[in-house]
Amino acid sequence: MPNINLPGTPARLPAPDAFAQAAAQLRIRRQRRLRLQNILAYTVLVIIAGIMLYPFYWTLITSLEPSGPIYQPKLLPSGLSLRSYAEIWSGTTVPFWRLLINSVVICVLGVSLTVLLATLAAYPLAKMRFPGRDLIFYAILALMVLPNESGLIVNYITTIKLHLLDQSNPVLDTVRQYMAVVLPTIASIVGLFLIRQSYLSIPGELLEAARIDGASELTIWRRIMLPLAMPTIAAFAILEFVAYWNSFLWARIMLPDKNMLPLSAGLLELSGTFSTNSRAVMAGAVITIIPILVVFAFGQKYFMKGLEGAVKG
Amino acid sequence: MTSTSRRLSRREQHQQGAAGAKVTVRNTLIAYAFMLPFLILLVLFHTWPVIFGTYLAFTDYNIISPPKWVGLANFHEVFADEQFWAGLRNSLKYILVVPVIQVISILLALLVNRPLRGIGFFRTAYYVPVVTSFSVVGLIWSWLYQQGGVVSSLLQGLGLMHGDHDLLNSPSTALIAVMFVTLWKGVGYYMVLYLAGLQSMSPELEEAAVIDGATPAQVFWNVTLPGLRPTILVCSLMSTISAIKVFEEIYVMTQGGPAGSTYTALFYTYSRAFVDFKYGLAAAAGIIVAFISIGFGILNFVLTRGGKTDA
Repeated sequence: MPNINLPGTPARLPAPDAFAQAAAQLRIRRQRRLRLQNILAYTVLVIIAGIMLYPFYWTLITSLEPSGPIYQPKLLPSGLSLRSYAEIWSGTTVPFWRLLINSVVICVLGVSLTVLLATLAAYPLAKMRFPGRDLIFYAILALMVLPNESGLIVNYITTIKLHLLDQSNPVLDTVRQYMAVVLPTIASIVGLFLIRQSYLSIPGELLEAARIDGASELTIWRRIMLPLAMPTIAAFAILEFVAYWNSFLWARIMLPDKNMLPLSAGLLELSGTFSTNSRAVMAGAVITIIPILVVFAFGQKYFMKGLEGAVKG
Repeated sequence: MTSTSRRLSRREQHQQGAAGAKVTVRNTLIAYAFMLPFLILLVLFHTWPVIFGTYLAFTDYNIISPPKWVGLANFHEVFADEQFWAGLRNSLKYILVVPVIQVISILLALLVNRPLRGIGFFRTAYYVPVVTSFSVVGLIWSWLYQQGGVVSSLLQGLGLMHGDHDLLNSPSTALIAVMFVTLWKGVGYYMVLYLAGLQSMSPELEEAAVIDGATPAQVFWNVTLPGLRPTILVCSLMSTISAIKVFEEIYVMTQGGPAGSTYTALFYTYSRAFVDFKYGLAAAAGIIVAFISIGFGILNFVLTRGGKTDA
């Protein structure tokens, strides 16, 4: 306990002990109030965490139960079995592994093309001078606010007119339908702005030096811009991975072949045809969530950075 | 040209590297080559839908035969359709989510902004619904809402509901049940944005107010909240527009039912296009929804006083 009654304190200060006591009392009261506030804060935090996480937990434990009533509230599973997982893996009309492969292909294709096109297009907008640069930049900006309620309809028509939904040869059809799923979302305006912003902060001297050494613009892009903008590119890639993995509406409305659906869309199909076995669909839901949670857990720092950057524009 | 602007452009040239900053035909071609793939897809899937969608609204079109110009007939038909008005009413009711989600998000952001041990876990936990697909979220909640299920038991246990009901299956509660899912899924997203807003504010302001003897409530109303106003503007604008355009949660959980109680304006658009194949009619309805959401966007801007911190 710190003591303000130091040796050599002039005697005319009345009763320094009283000060010390008062200060200590105040401190204790403040500590007690802080502790009470913290307990209250933790209580609220835990209750809300329960509301946010219990639905996932409930789905997980219900999917692990072998049998019995499904929908009632529970804190622990009535038993443990992987039966539902075996059923969803093999017992459906569209094989589950096929949906999983579709999701992986769509994600890899979508994320890599989206990142590639945005990193390419942002380079001249940030670091080159050419006629029409500002015009293009502001035109893209304006596109973000234009109403696009008919997007789904017109993109569907465009996809048909591009013959992406034709059915002729099984291998070709597969490739075309994967492209049909990802094409409308590959040109990401948000990504273009995010990456342009990070390019802008790269010092021009670096580019100048490379150009004096005779580097082409493509070499500069690959050797200087990409490595230096990597944190932003990683953030954007994670954001896009989550978006592609989760999107289901476009694929489900447009794809003629149910074998081509990604997991998130196929799950809805299964819940329709498989409605007698909700537990198996729950197992499918758990499998659908896991990759997102893994990516989110490892890339959380990047993810939040990308999100904030995306909103600030 | 004045000398200052020439100086500026020269410095800019220096910053950007001499060769790339020179405007030559070669450099221009290289620049456009870099942007070409992006621009092609952008025009095809972002610009074209705006143009062709607007044109379609004035035509009769079913993909098979070419669009036939019908003038304002589609708009007349939409306005005369009681289903559209029912959808629009539900979309407007959906805006009730906005103030609730914003207030809760701000309170949550204040809560997780406290320097408590393990706060990172809670921030992450609140964000998990945001990164989960609406298809999964919709399925999970339709299980939770089942008769004899989690929600029903909880509400009965708390004495908030009498008898066992599936909230999604009753016309009087279905819309609220879906709105709650939107709230549950979205609150973490806005919380993170408000948290960023809080952390970008200089703590000196709040400290100065405390030293001047302001109570915590006074600090919140007079310092913290005005500082958050730009964030509030952006967030409430985003959530208002997405409320009017609500679709995915409806599509997964109720398909507009029961008895049309969750039928929203964009669900009307969707069913005209992909159920009835009346693309022109759907495009017209889409344009009407777009104008309504722009109107609410402006209203929202006015209500939050343009996001000015000093208002």
